[in-house]
Amino acid sequence: MFELTPVEAEALALSLRVACWAVAASLPLGIFVAFALTRIEFPGRSIVSGLVHLPLVLPPVVTGYALLLLFGRHGPLGAWLEASFDVVVAFRWTGAAIASAVMGFPLMVRAIRLSLESVDRRLEAAAHTLGANRVWTFLTVTLPLTLPGILAGAILAFAKSLGEFGATITFVSNIPGETRTLPNAIYTFTQVPGGEQEALRLCLIAVALSMAALLASEIMARFLGRRTQPDVG
Amino acid sequence: MLVALATMSLAFLPASSKADILVFAAASLKEAIDAAVADFGKSRGERVVVSYAASSALAKQIENGAPADLFISADLEWMDYLAARNLIDASSRANLAGNRLVLIAPAASTAAMTIGPGFAIDGLLGRGRLAIADPEHVPAGRYARAALERLGVWPSVVRKLAPAENVRAALIFVARGEAPLGIVYRTDALAEKAVRIVDTFPADSHPPILYPAALIAGPVKPGAGAFLASLKSAKGQATFARFGFTPAE
Amino acid sequence: MSVELSVRRRLGAFQLDAAFTCGAGLTAIFGRSGAGKTSVINMIAGLIKPDRGRIAVDGRVLFDSDQRIDVPPHDRQIGYVFQEDRLFPHLSVRQNLLFGRWFNRRRVSSTSLESVVALLGLEPLLPRRPSTLSGGEKQRVAIGRALLARPRILLMDEPLASLDSARKGEIMPAIERLRDEGRIPILYVSHALDEVARLADTLVLMTDGRVAATGRVDDVLSRLDLPPLTGRYEAGSILRVRITGQDERFALTTLTFPGGTLRVPRIDRPIGAELRVRLHARDIAISTKPPEALSVLNVLKGRITGIATDSGPFAELTLAIGPAIILARITKLSRETLGLHDGQEVYALVKSVALDPRAEAVNERG
Repeated sequence: MFELTPVEAEALALSLRVACWAVAASLPLGIFVAFALTRIEFPGRSIVSGLVHLPLVLPPVVTGYALLLLFGRHGPLGAWLEASFDVVVAFRWTGAAIASAVMGFPLMVRAIRLSLESVDRRLEAAAHTLGANRVWTFLTVTLPLTLPGILAGAILAFAKSLGEFGATITFVSNIPGETRTLPNAIYTFTQVPGGEQEALRLCLIAVALSMAALLASEIMARFLGRRTQPDVG
Repeated sequence: MLVALATMSLAFLPASSKADILVFAAASLKEAIDAAVADFGKSRGERVVVSYAASSALAKQIENGAPADLFISADLEWMDYLAARNLIDASSRANLAGNRLVLIAPAASTAAMTIGPGFAIDGLLGRGRLAIADPEHVPAGRYARAALERLGVWPSVVRKLAPAENVRAALIFVARGEAPLGIVYRTDALAEKAVRIVDTFPADSHPPILYPAALIAGPVKPGAGAFLASLKSAKGQATFARFGFTPAE
Repeated sequence: MSVELSVRRRLGAFQLDAAFTCGAGLTAIFGRSGAGKTSVINMIAGLIKPDRGRIAVDGRVLFDSDQRIDVPPHDRQIGYVFQEDRLFPHLSVRQNLLFGRWFNRRRVSSTSLESVVALLGLEPLLPRRPSTLSGGEKQRVAIGRALLARPRILLMDEPLASLDSARKGEIMPAIERLRDEGRIPILYVSHALDEVARLADTLVLMTDGRVAATGRVDDVLSRLDLPPLTGRYEAGSILRVRITGQDERFALTTLTFPGGTLRVPRIDRPIGAELRVRLHARDIAISTKPPEALSVLNVLKGRITGIATDSGPFAELTLAIGPAIILARITKLSRETLGLHDGQEVYALVKSVALDPRAEAVNERG
């Protein structure tokens, strides 16, 4: 059967850990940003939208370098993290998670926005008349109806993380067991003469993982879709 | 409107004619080769177009049929790789220049150390990491590993590495102060103001760092051989020296 | 139990300037589409803000532009039934019903889930999802949901507008029951005269953003100066009648009101039942002599109390039939030919066919 070598297992475990944490940490912020950009008129809205989409447009290496400048030990955010929480993300899997989260963020926000925009605002007005204030209305009406988009956004960000290479290696390098995620490991093997076989194996693992995630999201989306289907006619 | 812009932009592309000489060269040679190309262009008519990348990537591209005329690698292994597959003109093969390996630190650092057998690099690193190009596949990384092994300190630092995608990325880690120490080529260290050289690795601690060049097997552009000759000439060698390379022998 | 409203607001090119007060029972806000009716109840609900004015329910001020009071919608304790049900698609019927309960725990009320379910016949629908319900069922759930939020007042915005007549038949009795139980006042917006005639006690007539008339339903609808506002075709009057006889042989029912009797096609209600009937002005003919050998069953003796004409071919007469007032429309030509004048005693011929219970505001079922 398909047995994993220690190198493969390590890369796989690391990738899963990085991807899960990247999505978990960025989801609340993603929902908040999507909500703000969709529903709230504030000055500088288009600038924020542009910033959110930057990682889609910039070369990943550039994004990785920007993260190095910001989150490195001598960078403003990195220094603050170290001073306040004794947390260092440079050359650590947490840094890889940040790189993944940043690269996947625009995809997540877009998916959530799409779903949020289709929520019938008249339902929210109805909730107000029934006694729910803005916060409760958001939690009991808006959020559940946005769930399909949130799920899609999470899956997209997860899949992006599984494939994230340029920003990760530029920011936290390629440390086995710490930052050598699946894509980094695949890249390494393609660079070694005769390593194509190994690279292929890792590719298959990565593909299987992505397919599993996509399948899970399909099932969930259909289940949720049936539950929140607005009536037709 | 978009179509008009697109077609207009095409007009500005340099018309790369089929007569241009295509050189594949290791990224660490960029400044030196660019200067040599400029000199060559002054005396000859043909244009030289250079594609810079990691030696491994270039070798693979040539193996898959890339239309290069000349290959300049950053280590012998990738040249041997192509030679074994009869992809180069073996008679044209020559070493163009050499390089030295140096230990660097951020410019503001006061780290001091003399490199010798068993030198206390671990202590100098402290809790930080040693930035090097990935020793699994990047020539600069392989040389660094070889040197550290020969000097007997590899086990003490193997878990404290920050393997970068290429030697320039390792340079950036040190320049930004993220890594307290790094190992790069001397030519790279000289080019980056934000780092200072702590010490140079003894030449016998690692295989000689040589930059072999060879014409690709099969028909090549007429000027390719002339360009290779210009690199080997006194003028070409002086150009290499100007950027910190050592003579090939 | 009262609503005091006086508001002003500009909506695009339209200026809304409305003021009225109303009390218990069902008050209809009536007028053509675009008259500003929905805007008014949206202001009571707090969903839109007047430019200026004051709104108070049961003495509690919800909005006052001078005192800068503006209670947010979720604090106003109003129940709102919208034109499109607006049920939450991700919740079951039961959860929809209890939604308002969750946010209004602190207020004690006598409406329980069981009583509302019984009132509206929702028992079989409880576990289902809104997307599986018919239009009428959804509106009933919407009414129940609004009631269970323990409101001080119930607002209804054309709740029957998107339903066909069969569905309307499902819901009208439920609204009547709500009105009759009398616990909370109902403000009912509609542009359909037959709904208003059947359901309302009081009428607020709106046109072009202004209140044109308020008063008891029968009174307002009988006023001569109003028919243009309610639509020429719809002009008519309402009579409160009581069933005083049933003729089995000819399937006729006798209705009596102070002023006379009417015989109409059989109405399946017991003797003594009180109803309201509509007489369309267009269905009433006038004779100056007692008519003979006529197929029309219903002839009422009365006196002309007013004649109104305008640029068209018609003249409209108000007739006093005992204490009741009805409207009749005839041509100006006939008026001149017959020499009709104020104070004249005439006979009003009411075509039996026009008293079809289904078209009129008469209850057909118990």
